Amino acid sequence: MRGDMLTLLLLAEEAGAPASPFEVNFGIFFWTWLVFITLFFVLKRYAWPAIVRATEERERSIREHLAKAEQANTKAERLAEENQQLLAEARTSAQQLIGEAKQAADKERVLAVERTKKEQDALLERARRDIAAERDKAIVQLRAEAVDLSLAAASKLIEERLSDDADRRLVEGYLKTLEARRSNRGGTRH
Amino acid sequence: MIQESHELDIGEVLLHHTADAWTVNFEPLFTIHLPRWPDLHIGTWTVNLSPTKHVFFMIVAALLVFLTMKLAGRQLERQRAGTRAPRGYANAIEAFVLFVRNEIAIANIGHDGAKFAPLIMALFFFILYSNLLGLVPWGSTPTGNLAVTGALAILVFFVIEIAGFLKLGPGGYMRTIFPKMPGVSGVGGAVLTIAMAPIEILGKLVKPFALAVRLFGNMTAGHFVILSLFGIIFLFGDLAVWNWGIGIITAALVVGIMLLELIVAFLQAYVFALLSAVFIGLMQHEH
Repeated sequence: MRGDMLTLLLLAEEAGAPASPFEVNFGIFFWTWLVFITLFFVLKRYAWPAIVRATEERERSIREHLAKAEQANTKAERLAEENQQLLAEARTSAQQLIGEAKQAADKERVLAVERTKKEQDALLERARRDIAAERDKAIVQLRAEAVDLSLAAASKLIEERLSDDADRRLVEGYLKTLEARRSNRGGTRH
Repeated sequence: MIQESHELDIGEVLLHHTADAWTVNFEPLFTIHLPRWPDLHIGTWTVNLSPTKHVFFMIVAALLVFLTMKLAGRQLERQRAGTRAPRGYANAIEAFVLFVRNEIAIANIGHDGAKFAPLIMALFFFILYSNLLGLVPWGSTPTGNLAVTGALAILVFFVIEIAGFLKLGPGGYMRTIFPKMPGVSGVGGAVLTIAMAPIEILGKLVKPFALAVRLFGNMTAGHFVILSLFGIIFLFGDLAVWNWGIGIITAALVVGIMLLELIVAFLQAYVFALLSAVFIGLMQHEH
């Protein structure tokens, strides 16, 4: 019975068939290449894409997201830099504006002070002129009064004799000398 | 009885069983007699392209790989279309394929590993299925044939060298044969560079040779061990007292070895794919 089993194993033997696994049949090389290369292309074309596609898509989307994030990052950095620059520019221009305003205000103030002073001076001048005019008028009046008073006093003293024009001229001449003397004295006093 | 069993050479049975054959034996169901074609003479070289048992099982392995992947792909597409959570068979295959793609191919080849991933994936699953076919009743391991592993290794060799040449350019590729000696310049450096050339070329050839022999050796050795253990039954089966015991012990041992072989089938497919990826990666990043 054991012999039967072994002969069963040996049944397949044919004349010239390989007798051990160490015999190399070169024909098998070509078969292997044919089978394997066919399998490779068939799998690559019809089988792997369906299995691997989800993973490849995920990988691609991750790569894209990373690239996008990188882009966004550089953009944000650039924007921040721009903002900084704008801020600095705004600050300097604001400072410049404030400076200019201050300068203008200073100038305006100086001008205003000057103008006020001028007006004041003009007012003062006018007042002085008015006062002088009033005084002159008062002096003229006073003189006329004085002439009348003097004439009245003199007529009281010498009654009718002293009423003609020659007398009057005499007194006026006298008063003029008085006035000249006073204005000489008054020049030092004023 | 004793006489008869001694006439049968267990070693010969063993070698015959692991050898290639011109028939595919499904005894006692049926036997396929493969066609015999005449020898081809190319110059002084003779080659016979007739299909053999290993060719038959190679085609079976390729078909099974294709069916597995096609089915899984179709289920995955359907699951994605229905926006259902991936599950079951398709999800397991997807995880397996992605492991080979990401952890074997891309992890070892580097940034353009995705370009070589289909090759590594095809290698892995083709070798895995070929290995496993040897563990199936009536099956046979195509990867237990030196010509099959040799052909795959030669293919990998050409992929390594041609992809390397395309990546590095003629000058860069020549540097992989005539390496620049660090720290040695002038005439001494040139001499060393030229002296290194045979070693470098040998190194290039040894890699695929090791791939081929490793896979063939592992696959064949497992079958040898299993067949040797079965041989024990025939050698000591006539001992009147122990014959049942021997049968049970041998069967238990064979089951253990079979389980080990299952691991080896995965491991050797992994090793072949991994080393192919590593060699391609080494060549791609040679500077």
